[in-house]
Amino acid sequence: MSAAAPPVLQVRDLCTQFDTLDGVVRAVDGVSFDLAAGETLGIVGESGCGKSVTALSILRLIPPQTGRIAAGSIRFEGRELTTLSEAEMKSLRGHRISMIFQEPMTSLNPVLTIGTQIAENVVRHLHVPWRAALDRAREMLDLVRISDAKRRLGEYPHQLSGGMRQRVMIAMALSCDPQVLIADEPTTALDVTIQAQILDLMLELKEKTGTAIVLITHDLGVVAETAERVVVMYAGRKAEEASVEALFELPLHPYTRGLMRAIPRVDAEADAAGTRTRLQEIPGLVPVLTRPIVGCAFAARCGFVTERCRVEAPPFVEALPGHAVACWEVERVRASAL
Amino acid sequence: MSDAPVLEVQGLVKHFPIHGGLLQRQVGAVKAVDGVSFAIARGETLGLVGESGCGKSTIGKTVLKLIEPSGGKILLGGEDVTSLKPGAMWPHRRRIQTIFQDPYSSMNPRLSAGTIVGEPLDNFAIARGAEKDRQVARLFERVGLRPDAMRKYAHEFSGGQRQRLGIAKALSVNPDLIVADEPVSALDVSVQAQVLNLLIDLQEEYGLAYLFISHDLAVMRHISHRIAVMYLGRIVELTDKRTLFARPLHPYTEALLSSATAPDPKRRRLRKRIVQGDVPSPANPPPGCHFHTRCPYAIAECRVTSPPLIEVAAGHHVACLRRPVGGDPEPLSIP
Repeated sequence: MSAAAPPVLQVRDLCTQFDTLDGVVRAVDGVSFDLAAGETLGIVGESGCGKSVTALSILRLIPPQTGRIAAGSIRFEGRELTTLSEAEMKSLRGHRISMIFQEPMTSLNPVLTIGTQIAENVVRHLHVPWRAALDRAREMLDLVRISDAKRRLGEYPHQLSGGMRQRVMIAMALSCDPQVLIADEPTTALDVTIQAQILDLMLELKEKTGTAIVLITHDLGVVAETAERVVVMYAGRKAEEASVEALFELPLHPYTRGLMRAIPRVDAEADAAGTRTRLQEIPGLVPVLTRPIVGCAFAARCGFVTERCRVEAPPFVEALPGHAVACWEVERVRASAL
Repeated sequence: MSDAPVLEVQGLVKHFPIHGGLLQRQVGAVKAVDGVSFAIARGETLGLVGESGCGKSTIGKTVLKLIEPSGGKILLGGEDVTSLKPGAMWPHRRRIQTIFQDPYSSMNPRLSAGTIVGEPLDNFAIARGAEKDRQVARLFERVGLRPDAMRKYAHEFSGGQRQRLGIAKALSVNPDLIVADEPVSALDVSVQAQVLNLLIDLQEEYGLAYLFISHDLAVMRHISHRIAVMYLGRIVELTDKRTLFARPLHPYTEALLSSATAPDPKRRRLRKRIVQGDVPSPANPPPGCHFHTRCPYAIAECRVTSPPLIEVAAGHHVACLRRPVGGDPEPLSIP
């Protein structure tokens, strides 16, 4: 974790808020993490935990009418992103930092061909002639293994399947050799066989291009099979951070443990015929983010809760080397059975 | 109670016409369901799993008679209901209920939750007035909602609570079978666990049967007794879940299982071959075995002959030319 090379992306105490009729929503409430060059970092959590808002904050895509980055710093290649002008951000987006989203159809322009859309990005950022940009586009389609790339360049998004569209998005995102690729639920809308293809493709391209990936997902299975390091978020805060092996071997936050016990598993050990074990539920609901959370955000649903958890927020500290967690009772959690 | 299966379908077919040209004449058909047969016993969960466009939801809608089948038979408790008109179908509707992926879209926003859940009691003249209120309150408690929530409106509930409302409504008429179409797909994992547990508890308590439709293999493995794997309108493999996960015989099942992600980083390296390509369009499926275009084990005959679903071992049905009756259950070789 403490690699010699400085991280390409450094997020510190990020707070992002939205104004709603019910009050100010603290969607992200003091999140910090580093992303090393060429690394795959998974950010995992349930809906409303702030994982997508974290991604949008890094890209400065929070709609200014309703939301803002209220505090914190985002440093990328030595530059502070929170104070950059919109013009400077535009020259970074799709160039040094790229993104892919869950539903490619909503991110692709339906009236432009695939080739035009990829080449446009290349021309804007790399300032090459159109012809060279189109060549680059074809090269990228080959790279993401879209067959018959030359013909596909002239096709429109609706002519492609969901998996192909996501490949096109990846081609576009990688067309200018970004340092960082932010992928927000990139495979959630896809069928399982297609999801497997896209995840494999992303990892293979990462090896080839050296692009670091922030993979945002609700799916622990996707994280386990792709990420190197994982951040678990809950109610806008970071609950736990560890290498993927350590996290799944010995999760230390009661919330992470709860999540892992709640998911049905496809790899379950041969269950006796007909018997079905109960999944362990996490009782209760996530806290309302419009009211300030006193103490630990998970306290109301936690089996290890003490008086202190309800009044004082636990600091985020390293409990084991490279394995950090925000929990007052981490020693008790650690000693308890998985 | 008769011994007939709660639901049996025989050779079920559902084609949707495709219209085209200036005169909007029928130019083809999407063969959404193309000759599917299965039976569900009392208290059993049959899972229907497959990727989008495989026809699993169409089967659900057809057995509910929300859409009319193009061919085949539907038997509810041994009675043929295939060609019953809506009026004649009415008494049978009590026996088969449904829960959806998004219960919110099926709830009238202007009615209180208690009214929504109590509607079937009115419709089937089961209870009225104070007795109805008592029954609805009992249903609320049974699915883990507070009876005082009866006065609230659908938008005041969370996703998981709405799914509980949907379950309470389905339960209200005491059905034999519930068709559950992706009931937990829209829910977060911690809430998903609550709903899955509730469904299993209710099954054990009331002897309910489920036709459980999902794309999620892990959820399937958890809730089903038997699983039917579908590909482009056909069942390609049908067996008990233990056998399916331990010894899948159809190449598509194998591909699905090795594509599924599991929360275990050690499994990464164990990942087998991933099937390549996209699912072909159900409007124009490949001839022969529908899977041959993506199947690494396909032989020449697979391109022309459509394999029937046959019982290759006790209770294990497979539709694959390379998996004959009594054949070797070992991995196939690539030709």
